[in-house]
Formats: sequence, structure tokens, C-alpha cells
Amino acid sequence: MKVLEIKNVHKVYNSSEVKVHAVNGVSLDFDKGEFAAIVGPSGSGKTTLLNMIGGLDTPTEGEIMVDHTNLAGLKSSALIDFRMRNIGFVFQSYNLIPVLTAKENVEFIMSLQKWNKKDRDERTHELLKAVGLEERINSRPSKLSGGQQQRVAVARALASKPKFVLADEPTANLDSKSTETLLDIMEELNKEEGITFIFSTHDARVVKKARRVITVEDGKVISDERKN
Amino acid sequence: MIWKTAWKNVWRNKVRSMVVIASVTIGIFGGIFAVAVMNGAIAQRVDAALNEEISHIHINDPAFRDNYDMQLIIADPEQVISTILETPGVAALTPRTMIAGMANTATKSTGVQIIGIAPEKEKEVLKLYDTTIPGTGDFFETESRYKLAYIGHELAKELNIIRYRIDQDVLDSLAVKNLPVELLDKLSAFSGTRFKSEKAFKKEMKGALSLKEQNAYGALIKEEAWSFRARSKMTLTFLDKEQIQTGAVFRITGVFDIKNSMYEMSQVLVKNEDMMGLTGMAPNEYHQLVVRLNDTELTEKTTTSLREKLPGLEIMNWKEIQPDLAMMTDMVQNFYAIFMVVILAALAFGIVNTMLMVVLERTKELGMLTAIGMNKKRVFRMIMLESVFLSMVGGVVGMIISKILIGLTSSTGINFASYAEGFEALGFAAHIYPEISTSFFITVTVLIILTGILSSIYPALKALKLDPAEALRTE
Repeated sequence: MKVLEIKNVHKVYNSSEVKVHAVNGVSLDFDKGEFAAIVGPSGSGKTTLLNMIGGLDTPTEGEIMVDHTNLAGLKSSALIDFRMRNIGFVFQSYNLIPVLTAKENVEFIMSLQKWNKKDRDERTHELLKAVGLEERINSRPSKLSGGQQQRVAVARALASKPKFVLADEPTANLDSKSTETLLDIMEELNKEEGITFIFSTHDARVVKKARRVITVEDGKVISDERKN
Repeated sequence: MIWKTAWKNVWRNKVRSMVVIASVTIGIFGGIFAVAVMNGAIAQRVDAALNEEISHIHINDPAFRDNYDMQLIIADPEQVISTILETPGVAALTPRTMIAGMANTATKSTGVQIIGIAPEKEKEVLKLYDTTIPGTGDFFETESRYKLAYIGHELAKELNIIRYRIDQDVLDSLAVKNLPVELLDKLSAFSGTRFKSEKAFKKEMKGALSLKEQNAYGALIKEEAWSFRARSKMTLTFLDKEQIQTGAVFRITGVFDIKNSMYEMSQVLVKNEDMMGLTGMAPNEYHQLVVRLNDTELTEKTTTSLREKLPGLEIMNWKEIQPDLAMMTDMVQNFYAIFMVVILAALAFGIVNTMLMVVLERTKELGMLTAIGMNKKRVFRMIMLESVFLSMVGGVVGMIISKILIGLTSSTGINFASYAEGFEALGFAAHIYPEISTSFFITVTVLIILTGILSSIYPALKALKLDPAEALRTE
């Protein structure tokens, strides 16, 4: 079952001096439960592509369908709402809300979606347990290591049971041990929850874990390998 | 969650938030306390005017107040008095005769309004009798074969009936009250001196004593040097009913002090029966009836009722007799609100500045929040709530401090003795008891919330313009 369809998507930036074709005719489909990495050198268009998939940027040409909904057809407020319900984000620099505890960060999205307290608490505890941070539930981000913060970010991304999670360089600021732990957790959650994970990464360890590797260069997909 | 997040965000940068909160606290406290002092001063002024000077309603011939013509008496006074006393809301009434004249002593004379009263009825309407300076007599209570006059403190000083003197008795009294020896030595140079006036006395003391000594002991010295001879004489001269100059010697029965220099200088109260004999007026001829009501709130209603019943007479209530009082009571609330709005508008600039810094510092975070699904309305609400919380914390602390201080000073009062002369010249007491209504605190609370909301608009709009993808790239 396809959760994401990217159809001949282009992104052109028109500056006063030069025209930059950041994404140049990319077409990709993602099924439910995929664990995919988009790799490529800096400037290859990975982040631009990820931003468009996440609805943070709009294609100059082409369509992006999430669960059969064309993102370009959604108005601004509807798009934000759609993002909240269907797409999870894990950022390179964790981007947790510093004044909230781990628990509050995870339940933030659920409270925006008006989940009742009981369901919210249950899901929060379940996720923080899954990422191995049940003991640090009331700790603020400043009291957590980088790896722990990223695990909270993963839990937050999964809180509202999105169709897929976009992770932009999630391991870039982590040491190798934290990276291993994080990737194991994400892989486990991918299998348990059946949520698609799409990484944008330079990290070989992520590529090794991924079951599908899409290589992007100069805005084009130059290879798309599925591992057995 | 947005409320909780906004509240926690306020304390993210404690120092910065505390600076803003402190400025709001000081602004709110200063504003409320200033209003309370003004309110207290006005309340005391109105209270004094109603209880000691004019009461609630005056009734007289329609043309009487044009030039206070003696001939313009109230027609059929018994019927009029009866009608007034039967009107709901009326507590008491006193009849008066009023004549312009001169008050004279051996050394001074001045123009006054001579008011003929029935002392017992007067006491039912006004509490002027309660302001008699101890040691100067009473309010027509002691029987005397002389004609008696009750005058104000300022008039007594003006006519040199009250004088200042330094003699051995005064020096001994000051020694008992522990005046320093060096000061007693300085004052002994004046022993045996009766000063021509209060002004002359003050001038000599200023020359003899240092500023520090004046501030520390000036009031005590003045109090001891003050002298009044019981039953001092004063001549009142005026025109009688036939427009012939007449007059008589009156003895001072008492001196009143109501902290209103103008009233004290100009009003002389005598018994109606004494005036009738001198002016040729009949016993039941009056120029004015002064009415006291059960409740000041009944003023408008009772005035209207009396006007309907007594169409041939001029009926004026206290707001019309002294429009300045009406202005103070009716319009001043609006001025207070404007005063607070000005203070809060100034504080708002500080809040706007702080919130702009907050938005700038949290560009990446705001981008993240939008990315994960916080829509524009929620972002706006979060920033607005932070601004409101910031304002409210400062506002609440300011209100608590002002409530405590007003509570304390409302019983002790604040003494503006240094400015007593100025205050009393305007009819205000120099010892003010601040007061404030609960409704004013509610008004201030609403204004603070509005300030928070309005201060957040510009910063929030800045936040909404952020592009999430670009914001996330911010370092």
C-alpha cells in the first residue's frame, strides 16, 4: 500500500543571477513500512526533496501525494493540519521544546490533536518506553544527552501515528554509540508500528541499516536499490 | 498545552522577564497608588464639603444668588419647610439668613459673609461644630449675655484674634517637651514678644532657626506659641433692611478649623435672633434653607422631587452649588482610566521589544513547531499568551503591593504637612487617606490584559511570516 507518491517533481529556484534546478524530475513511491535512506553529496537536492515531501516547500512542477492527497491542493492551514496528522519529523538538531519535559514534548502533538488525557498518557509512556527513556520522562532536554534528546524526538515524531516519518540527518550530531542505539530503536519501531521511515543522510551507518537506498545527485535520482 | 508552554516560555530567560515584570509592577503600583491618593483627597474634599460646608441641597429665592439681596426672603417659609421635611430622603433642614458685611478688630478688618443660624438645627444638618479648635470655645453652647460669633481659623488669624507669642510659659512648656537647650536659648531672645501675624512669626522663626531645626521642631514651637484669648471681641458691620449701615460687637464663641482656607476666611456664623434684631428682619424671615439627605445617592432624585413641589423657588444640589465637586466625582473616574492607559501604553513598548527578541531568538523553534503541525492561529495564541502572562504577572504583583500600601496608609494617612498651606487654600486637607474601589482594580486588570494582547500583535505577526523551511535552517 503506497503511503507516498512523488510524481515528476521539480524545484527551481530563480535568483536574480542564476536559475537553480534543485530537484529535477524526481519520481518515487514509498510503501507502508519502508525503511529508506536518501543519500547524496551536499547540494544534491536531498533536503529540498525532503522539505517538499514534508509539505514545507512546494514543487515548481509535479505532484506529491500523501495517502492519495495532493499536498499542492491544500491551503496553508489545511496543509499544516495534514502535516500534523500524517507526517512525523526528526531533525538534525533534535529541536525539542526546551521548556517542556520529555513527556510533554512527546504529548505536544497529541494535545494539539485534542487526544484525551488517558490516551495521551498511555501513548506517551508506550513510546518513551520503546525508546528506552521511561526513567527520564520528567527531564527537560537540557538534562538529556544528545542521543537521548534525539530518541525523545523520535518518540514525538511517532506520537500521532503518522503515515511516515522524515528524518533529516538525524545522526549528524551523535556519537557512534548513540547512533547505533537510535538506529536500532527506529528500526524496531518501524517493524512494530509499521510506520515508513525516510532518512536524508550522509551517514554510512544509516545507509547500512536502510532496506532501500535512493541515491540523488544534481537533483536527480541516479539509483534506487532495495535490499533483500 | 499551549497555555502551559507559553507560561513556561515566560521563564525561559528569567532575568529578561524579571526586568519587564519589574517595570510593569512599578508602573502599575505607581499608577494605582497615585490614583488612590487622588481618590482619597477628592473623597475627603467632598465629604468635608457635604458635612461641614454646604450639605446636600440649598433652597432660596430664584434671584437671591444674583447679588444676595437682603430683601429676597423665602415666601411662606413654614409651608415650604413642611413640604421639604415631608419629602422622602430628607433627613434634616436648617434655615439661614445671609448678609454681606465686614469683620473688624482693633488692628484689622476684612469682608465676610455673615450667616444667621439656628444652632441646634444647624447641628442636625452640618458637622461644623465638630471642628472647633480645642481651647477656643464651643458652638454656641455656653450661655452669654453677649452676641456670639463662630469664626474660621484663617479669619481668626487674619483679625489677630489668634496670635503667636513667646513668653516664659511657652519656653517652660517647650522645655518640658524636651526641646533642645540650644533651641530654647535661641527662642528666649524672643521672650515677651507677641507677633503681629502668623506670617511675622514664621519669618522670625525662619531667621532664628536652621532648616533642620525648623523641620524637626517647627510644628511644636508653633503649637506652643499659638494663643487665643477666650471671648475675644470682633465688630460686624453691614447694611440693614433699610440699607442703613449698622453693626454690633460680637464675642468669639469658638473657632473652627476645616482645612479650607477660603471658607474659614469668609464665613461668620451668628445666631438668627441676634441678626434679626440688628437687620430689622422678622423672626421667620429666611434667605436660605439648607437640607441634609439620608444618603448622598438620593441627591438627584430628591432635587427633582423638590423642584416639582416648589416651582417658585431655586433648588440647587451640591453638584450645582459647587460644580468643581461634581467634576471631581463624576468625571475623575474617566481621567483615572486615561491615566492608567497612558502608563500601560508606555510599558507596552517594553513588552513589544521583549517579545520581538523572543521571536527572533526562537526562529528555529517556531519553524519546527509549524513543521510538526502548529498552525498560525496556535502560534499567534502562544505568543499572545506569553505577552499576556508577562503583563499579568507584573500587573498582579503591582496590584498586590499597591493594595497592601493603600491598606496601610488608608488608616494612618499620608501627611503632606510641608504643603499644608497650598492644600488648604484649595480646600483640601493636607493629611490624605488613600482609597481605591474594587471596580478600579477590575478596570486595571482588563487594561493589563489588553496591553498584553496588543503588545503581542506585532511580534506574533513577525512570527507568522516565518517560512518553516528557512527557519529550520537558522543556526
